[in-house]
Amino acid sequence: MRPGIAVALAAASLARVAGAYGPETNYALHCQGCHLADGTGMPGRIPPLAGGALAPLLRAPGGRAFLARVPGVANAPLGDADLAALLDWTLDHFAAGDRPADFAPYTAEEIGRLRASPLVDVGAERRRVLDAAAAKVAR
Amino acid sequence: MALDGWYDAASRRLARRTSRRGFLGRVGTALFGAAAVPLLPVARAGAAERAPGPPEPPDADPTSCDYWRYCAIDGFLAACCGGSVTACPAGTEMSHVTWIGTCKNPVDGKDYVISYNDCCGNSYCGRCICNRNEGDRPVYLTGKANDINWCMGTETTAYSSTVAVVLGVATESP
Repeated sequence: MRPGIAVALAAASLARVAGAYGPETNYALHCQGCHLADGTGMPGRIPPLAGGALAPLLRAPGGRAFLARVPGVANAPLGDADLAALLDWTLDHFAAGDRPADFAPYTAEEIGRLRASPLVDVGAERRRVLDAAAAKVAR
Repeated sequence: MALDGWYDAASRRLARRTSRRGFLGRVGTALFGAAAVPLLPVARAGAAERAPGPPEPPDADPTSCDYWRYCAIDGFLAACCGGSVTACPAGTEMSHVTWIGTCKNPVDGKDYVISYNDCCGNSYCGRCICNRNEGDRPVYLTGKANDINWCMGTETTAYSSTVAVVLGVATESP
């Protein structure tokens, strides 16, 4: 791929595509099929988003990055800006009270950087993040 | 034979105590009660679509693959299998997890978010197979692939047919 094309594609992925769907519709199109309209998922098979389920991750060091790198998020066929808006909307909608007070909205640049390093073993990384948080609390 | 005699006497006792009308009434109650159990998922499925629904063209035919809601479907139409465009056939259970896409309504020109819930519980319906696939992605993007069997978390994974429930108008990015 020529460098010029690569730069153009990178710029396009950061920009929000004109005429693209908003985050509520993108939730329906890219998340709701499995996590369901009320974010309850299917415990044991499909992770729930609502009911405080995300609180341990949102409060854990590394949890913010983990949520942007899980396969359903990182692999969503959306540009970085739309994906950041979708992730923020999802947290606003299902986990607003679960975030620490200093939890800033995701940015397109941050999403682009995080999704570029996908998780190889999602379960192991989830345990690592939560165990590290528990150890920190215990200290 | 002793058994034959017992059966004969029991039948006569039963005939004296009961009327034919009462017997049929109880059979009817039993049959209705039995039918109400598999019908429950149908009622739940029908409630999934909020009123008022999208405008429908005058020649709308929910048993045709060309019907606008089916632009991204891959499966047998529930409307051809004893159900409707939004309700699963009796005896089947609507999957909660589902493949979701958008279709353009030919009347108002708006994009609508459509949920293609699979109906699970009977064997393949086999009628009205439709395979249009707008927006379908390869199966490695599982949540965006309509090739997979979405009968997950239901009592049985047996696929029967598919409905097309309108979830609402797709909203554009601000």
